[in-house]
Amino acid sequence: MARLIRTEKEVEGRFEEVWLVVEEDPLEQWPAGPGEVVGRPAVRKDALERVRGEARYTADIRLPGMLHAALLRSPYAHARVRRIDLAPALALPGVRAAIGPGEAPGLDAEAGYAGAPVAAVAAETDAQARAALEAVDVEWEKLDAVLDPEEAVERGILHGEPERYERGDFDRAVAEADVVVESTYRTQVVLHNSMETHQSVCEWIGDRLDIHTSTQYVWGVRAEVARELGIAADRVRVVCEYMGGGFGSKNSAGEYTFAAAELARRTGRPVRCALTRREEHVAAGNRNATLQRLTVAARSDGTITALGGDFINALGWGGWSAATEGPLKMLYACENVRTTRSTAKINTPPMKAFRAPGFVEGTFGLECLIDELAARLDVDPLELRRMNYASSNDGTPFSSKNLAQCYERARKHWDRRHAVRARSDATWKRGVGMASQIWYGGGGPPSYAWTRVGSDGRITVVTAMQDIGTGTRTAMAQIAAEELGVPLDRVEVTLGDTARGPYATLSAGSSTTPSIGPAVRAAAADAKRQILEIAAQRYDLEERILDIRNGTIVSADGNLSVGLAEFLELLGSAQILGKGARGPNPTGMSVLTFGVHVVEAAVDVETGEVRVERVAAVHDVGRIVNPLGAESQVEGGIIQGIGHTLSEQRLMDEETGRVLTTSLDAYRMPTIADVPEIVCEFVDEPDAHLTNLGSKGLGEPPIVPIAAAIANAIRDATGADVHELPVSREEMLRALREAEKKERRGAPAAV
Amino acid sequence: MKLVINGDEHEVDAPVGASLAAVLRERLGLTGTKIACNEGHCGACTVMIDGVPVLSCITLAHSVEGEVTTIEGLRDHPLVDAFVRADAVQCGFCTPGQVVSAAALVAARPTPTEEEIRHAMAGNICRCGTYPKIEEAILHWRD
Amino acid sequence: MELLRPSSVDELDGGLFIHGGTEVVPLLRDGIVRAETLVDVRGVVPRGVTGGRIGAGTTLAELEADARVPDALREACRLAASPQLRNMSSLGGNLLQSTRCWYWRLKFPCRLHDGERCHAADGEHREHAIFGNDYCASAHPSDVAAALLALDGRVRTTRREIALAELYRLPDEADRRMTTLEPGELILEVEVQPPAASTYLKAMDRKRWSFPQVGVAAARTGGGTRIALAGVAPVPWLLDGPEDVERATPLPRTAWKVDVARALVRRALAELG
Ligand SMILES: Cc1cc2nc3c(=O)[nH]c(=O)nc-3n(C[C@H](O)[C@H](O)[C@H](O)COP(=O)(O)OP(=O)(O)OC[C@H]3O[C@@H](n4cnc5c(N)ncnc54)[C@H](O)[C@@H]3O)c2cc1C
Ligand code: SF4
Ligand code: FES
Ligand code: FES
Repeated sequence: MARLIRTEKEVEGRFEEVWLVVEEDPLEQWPAGPGEVVGRPAVRKDALERVRGEARYTADIRLPGMLHAALLRSPYAHARVRRIDLAPALALPGVRAAIGPGEAPGLDAEAGYAGAPVAAVAAETDAQARAALEAVDVEWEKLDAVLDPEEAVERGILHGEPERYERGDFDRAVAEADVVVESTYRTQVVLHNSMETHQSVCEWIGDRLDIHTSTQYVWGVRAEVARELGIAADRVRVVCEYMGGGFGSKNSAGEYTFAAAELARRTGRPVRCALTRREEHVAAGNRNATLQRLTVAARSDGTITALGGDFINALGWGGWSAATEGPLKMLYACENVRTTRSTAKINTPPMKAFRAPGFVEGTFGLECLIDELAARLDVDPLELRRMNYASSNDGTPFSSKNLAQCYERARKHWDRRHAVRARSDATWKRGVGMASQIWYGGGGPPSYAWTRVGSDGRITVVTAMQDIGTGTRTAMAQIAAEELGVPLDRVEVTLGDTARGPYATLSAGSSTTPSIGPAVRAAAADAKRQILEIAAQRYDLEERILDIRNGTIVSADGNLSVGLAEFLELLGSAQILGKGARGPNPTGMSVLTFGVHVVEAAVDVETGEVRVERVAAVHDVGRIVNPLGAESQVEGGIIQGIGHTLSEQRLMDEETGRVLTTSLDAYRMPTIADVPEIVCEFVDEPDAHLTNLGSKGLGEPPIVPIAAAIANAIRDATGADVHELPVSREEMLRALREAEKKERRGAPAAV
Repeated sequence: MKLVINGDEHEVDAPVGASLAAVLRERLGLTGTKIACNEGHCGACTVMIDGVPVLSCITLAHSVEGEVTTIEGLRDHPLVDAFVRADAVQCGFCTPGQVVSAAALVAARPTPTEEEIRHAMAGNICRCGTYPKIEEAILHWRD
Repeated sequence: MELLRPSSVDELDGGLFIHGGTEVVPLLRDGIVRAETLVDVRGVVPRGVTGGRIGAGTTLAELEADARVPDALREACRLAASPQLRNMSSLGGNLLQSTRCWYWRLKFPCRLHDGERCHAADGEHREHAIFGNDYCASAHPSDVAAALLALDGRVRTTRREIALAELYRLPDEADRRMTTLEPGELILEVEVQPPAASTYLKAMDRKRWSFPQVGVAAARTGGGTRIALAGVAPVPWLLDGPEDVERATPLPRTAWKVDVARALVRRALAELG
């Protein structure tokens, strides 16, 4: 039965009180451990077409008569279009339409950052469209630009009020502590850089708008476009079957979609608008920089008595302020906590969610701070973490938490540190560091799925979700196969089209599997129930003794054993249709994911080179549906995290606010040569309180602890405290020099 | 302009300056070759010319002299199955380029070492981080 | 635009030379260089290694795999760019590659674009030069040129033969060019005498596919040891000796490169024995 509840909904660590219509979910969880299909490694359903280059991405969509659009962007960090003349552009060969500020959502007269879109042109070819941009005549009024986040905070140029949080009595705890460590950490701006750039192809068919777009949320784009254009949502169809990466940057429609839609309307032709890589580096979102002034106070026995943090999120012109203080509030048992988070509104490109926004940055600060404390107390960092284990989220119970088990499993990796250090020589110093992970990932309602079983005994799962490369298509097929008792190759999944399937949530915030998976299982269970009902009638048996196992309908008394396909032949053209919905999250509980990384790193103390040699990752994300795909997710997160830690950085000209690292020779992501040995383990305990699956999401957790674990390994190796990301050679050499000075002054070095 | 692609000869009309990648994708409909940067930095557009991997996005179509092999010409290569088995594909946008680079590598060295794989594959960026699986796929491509 | 494909030097008559096109094609697309006529010089420029002579049309990939090539040059090629780029890149084109300075690539009106100031010196310059940087602070990106400079290579063009060092010049107010090559002059060959020992060490910010943060080439011949650096000055930079590192004039954010250079020079010399 449908039930109306008022609840907190979490997406990417953001909470919102909402009304939700949910359906109860009566299914019992499967027992822990691998089933017939779920919990066993499965090759991706869509691997072949992707590998062979047959999968059609948005980038590959070519519609008859299609035009190409390009966006005109502000050269100034803050400016207003005083006057714009599109006519010279329209006069150029091939140009079919042009729009200016206010003529499509996202094209605004006020440009808040260098690169903000203000106009768009559609032409027969991409080159013609880009050439036409140069002909647009704009009179700009330059406005005061603020580029420095600290200056913005000082001047009170903020997004919203500072967020304050306090529990206990922070000041008193600090005053009474045996040891207090204060440190400042900085994290840089990094770019998502999905290989397929942001793009859409829009086409009007009568009063219906078809949008092919590279997105993590087909329904979100549908709703946003309908709202902005003032048309009925069912007049908008959003399609994204194959998607070339998003990492959080493709959760919304984007001005490229709106510009394409408007230009398509004006020309009566399909219009494609695709960002170039250079535009991607400017205007497709980023992980904002942070500044973190942190304090930890402890008793000499290692009990953490106070944690405090002043955070600045350097947000840029838009985006939202992620909870950088989250880990500091939740990871450890600590009675006295005080945090402030100010969100600087500067004239730089807007932030977009990037794999565990806020927590990646906050974990770097917190987990480095904890190790600095361990060094001061002369306590083993692993022990210090265990001693301060949080058994509730400030009073709210966890739906499940197996971080202690992660620590236990990490011990064998941690114990290698003596051997690792012993491999140091005069130039290469080696060490081991660890960091813990906490993040959301429970997903939530609503999401729906249908199942369709034909007379050939094959099953199609229909749900309008998207597979952004995380392998969720495969996971959904596994869940349906498990529930229906059929081999995986009997199940197909149809997705990526709002016109062809029920609502499913976004593929972000590690929410796809935990949100849609239970709905798929429910839909499969519904179909199975119907199959067994018919079988009971056909064979005159009691339904409750029937089951489907490995594609065969069997009875508990052993009298019946008939192949599903053979039996379903009687359907002819009839089909069995199942439907399922995602049930509610447990009330009064914190649903979180946990993990630990143990990193072995080597530092060349003369040249500042840092090499990550080995990463052991242990994660607790509930039940693992596809261990093979899960391992790929972990590896991918770690590799992205290594880039974040060592080599990636969006640089900007301080004078003009223009992004300087606009191409991939200057913005350096890891290559295959940078990959360390990666060991990946899962606790694989279903969360008994969470849905019929007990699974949480895994897209984000692996990127959360890696930076701190690397920094802590660096400290273990060299005694140097790195305080800034990326740990470039410059930062590494600075930290080494600092450590040397400290040692000379006789202060206790960490090693 | 005449191009030999995957063994077939094509007569193509394109302005001087057009890249091989653009001709493949826009004129010949061979969209297996992806463009992710269009300036020679990422490897998504890798094709072979006479067996040598090059970047089609910065190769002028008019200057191509040899035979071009694209992912469409490698669809039955055993590496395809090796990539699938190893889960060496996430979003898949970089993957056709990876397969082309890998095919050239194993043609030159049927049993490459890890070091050789890392050296030969370093020009193909994968933002999803499928690298460990790519290494595995190439190490076991003939299994 | 037209594309000519001459088959002999005599047919050359103006136009923009293009060999592998790894530099030319992106620069054309960005409008940083312009041309009505492209001249594909692959039919003209020698390719391959004969004795100490290396055809300017030889690719970096070929050099990387050729045991006859001195270690420093081979290693410089092996660690340059990406595999596909090395397959496309000619030796001649490599020596003539433009700066990677982001201001220049983004067409800021800086001195090398005939403007009035060096945006990098006043702005974001953490990857820039520590020597010869008072007019333009860019860092020469060629590993290969540094190796050849240490090897005391000679360059034969369609007009003359010069020491590699003479191919380059520091730009100044009067003349902002970074090479001495004249319009229409084509590099045909590079000649290197085999050294007693040579080596190339490269600091990168990832293990492969990275421009040199600092590259150090060292070569020992009968006449002594030559040390040349990549990534530290607007042109490939020859040191008078290891202590020359201390004469660096770093910008505020390039001081770290001095430390790196010092360490790599020491290691390179130690390797030569
Ligand atoms: C992304 C990227 C990364 C790179 N990384 C590195 C690196 O790490 N280390 C390194 O050393 N190099 C690096 N390079 C440089 C690369 O090696 C050169 O771009 C390449 O060698 C140029 O050769 P080409 O044949 O492609 O030249 P083209 O692009 O064809 O030409 C380059 C220039 O030289 C001129 N030219 C070409 N041949 C001749 C000739 N014979 N005589 C006279 N003029 C000629 C052209 O007119 C043009 O001005 C990188 C390049 C790129 C694009
Ligand atoms: S370093 Fe040279 S190229 Fe860069 S901004 Fe300065 S003058 Fe221009
Ligand atoms: S698309 Fe050609 S290298 Fe990136
Ligand atoms: S699989 Fe997504 S970029 Fe490689």
